Amino acid sequence: MAFEYVPAIVLLPFLSFLIALFAGKYLPKGGALAGIAATAGSLLLSIWAFLTVRSQGAYQETIYTWASGFGEQPWELTFGVLIDPLSAMMLVIVTLIATLVHVFSLGYMNDEGETGLPRYYAGLGLFTASMLGFVVADNLLMAFMFFELVGLCSYLLIGFSFREDGPPSAAKKAFLVTRFGDYFFLIGVVAVFATFGTAAFAGAESFPVLAEEAVAGDVTVNTFGFDPTTWFTIVGLLMLGGVVGKSAQFPLHTWLPDAMEGPTPVSALIHAATMVAAGVYLVARMYGFYAVSPTALAIIAFIGGFTALFAATMGVVKREIKQVLAYSTISQYGYMMLALGAGGYVAATFHLMTHAFFKALLFLGAGSVIIAMHHNENMWDMGGLKDKMPVTYWTFLAGSLALAGIFPFSGFWSKDEVLYEALIHGLGGSPLLLGAYAMGLLAVPVTAFYTFRMVYLTFHGEPRSDTARDPEPVRWNVKFPLTVLGVLAVTAGLVNMVPVQKVLGLEGIDYLHQWLDQSFDPLTAHHYAEVSPYSSGYIGGEATTVLVGAAVSLGLALGGLLLATQLYNVAEPTEHTAKLGAIKDVLYNNYYQDEFQVWIANRTRAVASVADTFDQGVVDGVVNGVSSVSLFSGSRIRRIQTGVVTNYAALLTLGLTALLLAFGLLGGWFL
Amino acid sequence: MVPAQYYLLLSAAVFCIGLFGVLTRDNALYFLMSVELMLNAANINFVAFSLFWGNLTGQTFALFVIALAAAEVAIGIGIILVLYRNFGSVSVTDAATMRW
Repeated sequence: MAFEYVPAIVLLPFLSFLIALFAGKYLPKGGALAGIAATAGSLLLSIWAFLTVRSQGAYQETIYTWASGFGEQPWELTFGVLIDPLSAMMLVIVTLIATLVHVFSLGYMNDEGETGLPRYYAGLGLFTASMLGFVVADNLLMAFMFFELVGLCSYLLIGFSFREDGPPSAAKKAFLVTRFGDYFFLIGVVAVFATFGTAAFAGAESFPVLAEEAVAGDVTVNTFGFDPTTWFTIVGLLMLGGVVGKSAQFPLHTWLPDAMEGPTPVSALIHAATMVAAGVYLVARMYGFYAVSPTALAIIAFIGGFTALFAATMGVVKREIKQVLAYSTISQYGYMMLALGAGGYVAATFHLMTHAFFKALLFLGAGSVIIAMHHNENMWDMGGLKDKMPVTYWTFLAGSLALAGIFPFSGFWSKDEVLYEALIHGLGGSPLLLGAYAMGLLAVPVTAFYTFRMVYLTFHGEPRSDTARDPEPVRWNVKFPLTVLGVLAVTAGLVNMVPVQKVLGLEGIDYLHQWLDQSFDPLTAHHYAEVSPYSSGYIGGEATTVLVGAAVSLGLALGGLLLATQLYNVAEPTEHTAKLGAIKDVLYNNYYQDEFQVWIANRTRAVASVADTFDQGVVDGVVNGVSSVSLFSGSRIRRIQTGVVTNYAALLTLGLTALLLAFGLLGGWFL
Repeated sequence: MVPAQYYLLLSAAVFCIGLFGVLTRDNALYFLMSVELMLNAANINFVAFSLFWGNLTGQTFALFVIALAAAEVAIGIGIILVLYRNFGSVSVTDAATMRW
């Protein structure tokens, strides 16, 4: 039975963490081989679990109850696993990318002679374990714990090169910004417990089901005097704080570009393919809960659409290859949020999957370029790498075509479905969604433009520096992961060809839709579509809408691509950003978001200093007061210890006499 | 036969002499002798009660106390020797450093 081995999927990488941490320096390759073996083992077990879900359906089991209430509050806090189509798919994605990143690290870290390898591989192992724990979690509290662990690993790995200036500060920023969001998430978790008395994701007594029934009026839950829908919106938005932080959505996106200070394989694993996916995955995991609240959905859609466009515009002017990819990551997660908010549960999951593949590919490709360029990341020093590193070039190109959403690469199918869902549900009477759709659509040409600007500057034209003329070769351990991900980036879209099905009337090629319908009853894609508050509207018929939507987004993507070709696919490209005038400065400074946050931080310093005074004065004051009273009284009372033995004897005698007198008085001897 | 009160008065007197010695002297050798007096005051009680009850247990106990007193003197003399070595005197007021 595959499901009995599900805990091992999580524990294997944890084991590799322990091995790398305590024995890494005695092992060859600094513990890399243990990490590869563990993640590969997890991958095999995940595939097994995936196939078992396919044949036997979903599975949920409580493994350990670590606290239980009694009387009025019979809550149980548990650890358990929930393996349904969504989590099984995510398990395969995470373990696959983790394995490939471990292999790639051999080339990026070991071959480059980095120090501190055991620490690095320990971090990767712990990260993989906590991400997998988050994916299999069957209740919100367990998910929150692993969510926090994932954030911790991100901190440890971004700050890997802690002797330089940038990484420690970037690590602190990432930790604080995501913690700020997680703070609201924690309040949300507590609110869920207070409202429903349970935090389970699946089952008849799970909180999404109870929320649905409470809105319908079938059950009553403690909504603290609010209307159920209003209260669920409040709770949903609180939890959304954690999602916005982890998935780097506006306004908490500022940590992700700085997180590029970490080693490139870490960027690929954590800040593109998996940890940032945690936020989106969390919303998908409890989608039934969000589906009952139209307001929360609209806010999610709007944040997503805005972030997609906002981040894409910043990617246009960046000079470093990893910075471009960082902003594209933020932008693509905006698309996923847009899909979730627009009622496109499958579309979001689909984009999550394809994005994981092509973004991991692009980051690893960028890592390969960075090795070749001796860790110079400036694209203006590159150029002409196409002929010198063909494997990297062709795979990177496949990933870029997928990112830009060009037919028939994977990104086209998923992005198209995201926009399609937003469009039909917007036309069905939600003008707000149409606004979000417009922003998502506007981001398409921008995405295609910056992606191909990056490709042309890096690989085409004449080499613009000595290292670009004579790049360092990369080995199999770099090329192998790139090839695997390259194939996936090209083909992954074929698992869900909804437009083809709709236009040609072919039934049964929307495999992902069918797959996500195999879950427990209330967790199916079908059910989510029913409970979502949107109705659909079409331009002409359904097939026409599909064709128009796809044609518009593909046309815009090609337009962006052609513009990039026009401007940058020349032998000696020049910077065209100056033509943007003042806008360039705004974009290059990220809309002054960092400055704005610093400004807010300075404005709120008064609050912080009051809190500090309270902490130093009252909290510490009580503790220090108690100890100084003890110290003072001790220093006085110890004076009765003279050290002279005669005094002690006298005291003994006096004591005996006093006792005798007391007994005598009480016993009435003297009467 | 002498009544029991006389024995008890004798015992109380010897005990008080011993206690007086412990409380007023600072010479450790006097201490030893005073403690010996106090132990013997107890012995007198034991033997007297034994006589009046017609029971030998008290006398046996007195023998135990004598053995115990011998052991106590052995240790006490040892302590006094160390005291003399360290302070050059046998006054108990000198050894007052084992405090705060």
